[in-house]
Amino acid sequence: MARREHIRNLVLLGLVVLGLALLPYGLSVYLRSFVLFTMMYVVLALSWNIISGFTGYTSFGHVAFYGIGAYACAILVADYRWHWLASLGVGAVVAAVVAVMIGYPVLRLKGPYFAIAMLGAAEGTRVIATVWDGLTHGGLGISLPSAETSMPTYYAMLACMLLTAVVCYVVGHSRFGIRLNAIREDEGAAEALGIDATRYKLAAFTLSAVFPAVAGGIQAYKVLYIDPPSVFFVQITIAMALMSMLGGKGTVAGPILGAVVLYTAQELTWVNFPSAHLIAYGLFIIVVARFMPRGLIGFAIDRGWVRKGMVH
Amino acid sequence: MERSDVRSLYLLAAFLACAYALPFVVGVGAGTARGDAAWLSYLAAVVLGGLMQGGVYAMFAVGLTLIFGVMRIINAAHGEMVMMGAYLTWVAFFYLGVDPLLALAFTLPLAFLFGMALQRVLLDAVVGQPELTSLLVTFGLGLVMIYSAELIFTTDFRTIPYAPGTVQLTSTIAIGQNRVISFAMAVVITLGVFLFLKRSRLGKAVRATALNAEVAMVCGIDVRRIYLITTGLATALAVAGGALVSIQFGFNPETGVLYTLQAFAIIILGGRGHYVGALIGGLMLAVLENLVSLMVPNGTAMVELAAYGLMIFVLLIRPGGLMGVKEG
Amino acid sequence: MTSETPGAIALDVRDLRKAFGGVRAVDGCSFAVPRGKISGLIGPNGSGKTTTFNLLTGVVTPDAGQVLYLGDDIAGLKPFQVFHRGITRTFQITRVFREMTVFENMLSVTALAVPDRAARARAEELLALVNLTHLRTEYGGRLSYGQQKLLEFARALMTDPDLILLDEPAAGVNRTLLQHLLDHIHRLQERGKTILIVEHDMNVIMNHCERIFVMDYGVKIAEGPPAEIRHDERVIDAYFGRRRQR
Repeated sequence: MARREHIRNLVLLGLVVLGLALLPYGLSVYLRSFVLFTMMYVVLALSWNIISGFTGYTSFGHVAFYGIGAYACAILVADYRWHWLASLGVGAVVAAVVAVMIGYPVLRLKGPYFAIAMLGAAEGTRVIATVWDGLTHGGLGISLPSAETSMPTYYAMLACMLLTAVVCYVVGHSRFGIRLNAIREDEGAAEALGIDATRYKLAAFTLSAVFPAVAGGIQAYKVLYIDPPSVFFVQITIAMALMSMLGGKGTVAGPILGAVVLYTAQELTWVNFPSAHLIAYGLFIIVVARFMPRGLIGFAIDRGWVRKGMVH
Repeated sequence: MERSDVRSLYLLAAFLACAYALPFVVGVGAGTARGDAAWLSYLAAVVLGGLMQGGVYAMFAVGLTLIFGVMRIINAAHGEMVMMGAYLTWVAFFYLGVDPLLALAFTLPLAFLFGMALQRVLLDAVVGQPELTSLLVTFGLGLVMIYSAELIFTTDFRTIPYAPGTVQLTSTIAIGQNRVISFAMAVVITLGVFLFLKRSRLGKAVRATALNAEVAMVCGIDVRRIYLITTGLATALAVAGGALVSIQFGFNPETGVLYTLQAFAIIILGGRGHYVGALIGGLMLAVLENLVSLMVPNGTAMVELAAYGLMIFVLLIRPGGLMGVKEG
Repeated sequence: MTSETPGAIALDVRDLRKAFGGVRAVDGCSFAVPRGKISGLIGPNGSGKTTTFNLLTGVVTPDAGQVLYLGDDIAGLKPFQVFHRGITRTFQITRVFREMTVFENMLSVTALAVPDRAARARAEELLALVNLTHLRTEYGGRLSYGQQKLLEFARALMTDPDLILLDEPAAGVNRTLLQHLLDHIHRLQERGKTILIVEHDMNVIMNHCERIFVMDYGVKIAEGPPAEIRHDERVIDAYFGRRRQR
């Protein structure tokens, strides 16, 4: 029974990926980059969900890892003439190391204190990127040597999304994921039942930092210019949280659904109401957080359309 | 106090001593700190100016800590309320020709009503929800406020030329008149709020609700009404802060974010829900910021870093802050 | 005093101390829990038995003293480390994972080294034992209090522990359910497990424990089989005599 469900989901994922792989040839440049950014937000929302949805530690500074990945790519490609794909790996490693350094002390904090500390950590990272002229060119930002990046970045993002989705699916349906859930539900009880919460939280946090770094790197190579305010933008963190919540945090399908729905809605309002779209976005955040904290998936579970729990 | 609690206080004191020493060390290294008399009196003026600025910070941080203490809601739109106060004052000054301090007489009641409306429409539903919900709701509110302000006032920086003279304290130390006036106003308003919380029945009810909402309810306190008053008061404090900030510094719709983070840092330093702590935290943060911007190269960015660094380290060393005890 | 045959003792607590500020909650407490038997730790409110329980399970670290489990000192270990020594516990007020299904609650406790198939089989078996199989995909938070108590009990047995610590199993539980739980506990004892019940309620302990330790003011004031404890002057005094003036 469970196996049949896994196979069904695998086939579904395969079809989506196949469709997305064939898609760009039939699309305009604008639509292609729209799909690319949608996929990027899927990566970001899924990653945020590992630490905040599965483990219950609300990170309000996840954009830090995205920014680190973007900077790793931009610096290595522009200043050291690396191949951009290689720079993505470096970005992932740096983000993982930073995640351990930040996470080890900060994951001891709970609830709002963790959220605020992460917000501070992300803003701090942005300031460091601004003042560390020698490495990051400071506030001027970095321009990458121009190249035809539309197609390669599209496929890189697709691969990154596939990897993230598979990892999240495996984590979500494993006992490792269940233990993260247990920490979210009651950390004290989880520890009493043999779960080394410190280690698990750190593992989840590090895992959730790696994929945004890769996505950030791809994005940097796609747009060919980055500066601190654009890649350490608080609203990217908010988007991760909001997308996960809209779809249903703590699930695997939820963040994907949320990212697609929200990014599309955002793009549509931006195109149609350019001057007021951020006001509309703010109102949308309020409405989602206020009225559907359990998201679309939670809505479906309550009505019995979707099965409860990740493991059967 | 438990032994570990005392230890954490010493640790925090040691950390703060290092934090304050650091700008001097950097300053000596970079040549921005000198030993001569002229520089020393300049330093004194900077520290004094920092203290005065800190009084204003503390005032709006008390608003944030009120909401957090009473409802456990982190108001991520607090800085936007400060920004709103600055624009209200600006409009009053340039379009109606009202003195910024006199304008408080009608902006504060307005802010109080705005806060109460906010509580009824938004925050009542968020009390008791996980932190993600309240953070997102208030952040969304902040976005609406920022971009509405941009629509109305554009992103241009605004300043209010008010009391541009200086006050000569000694023959060598002078401080801007606007700073002194702001500080005095902040002290009066903060004192008023303290007296309200300490002495009045309603203020006592607010404090009781902060300690334990359930017990307060059992004791016959209408908790929903207390929430209304809390948010009204907090909004008024933020708007007052905005008025006092607007006569000292330039502002645009996006400056609010900085004030939010500053207020976070202050209440964490002081201890959440602790009003005297917020006062001390505000003074300490502002002095540190002024020292950093005086001596460390790359001043403005480093000022922010100092605030975030202070915030995170205090959280790690002593989550309860200076005045609070460690939370379970 | 506890150096009889070492094999007969599961948990040897020696001169355990813990102070909170100026209050000496546990003040040199010593007792030895016999292996393979049901023992009880009782005492009036504020006697230090809850702190002792927290010290044994690693929730609180002792200021001084030893907790020897089968000869190894486990004092000062973290809760998850204590668990991995083969000691498990339940909570006074149930702490099931509310937003997880019953089955996920069970699976959360297995060591990752145990193969998935074996873990699932074990979970099914234990759920069947406490009659919760039909609720396996229900959320923990949706169960009745009694069902939660049973789930928590079953969950604690996932790793087949040797020593089971029960924190006030009778609190908030009706008689039928309590009887049900006690039946399970006796069955575990028959299979060679050691059980220590910390209880406020004297009657539960008197009828089910072979050995009883009585605490007051942070120290053990009496020890023995129920018949002896029932008539012990000091125990009666602690429970019904002079009231504390703190």
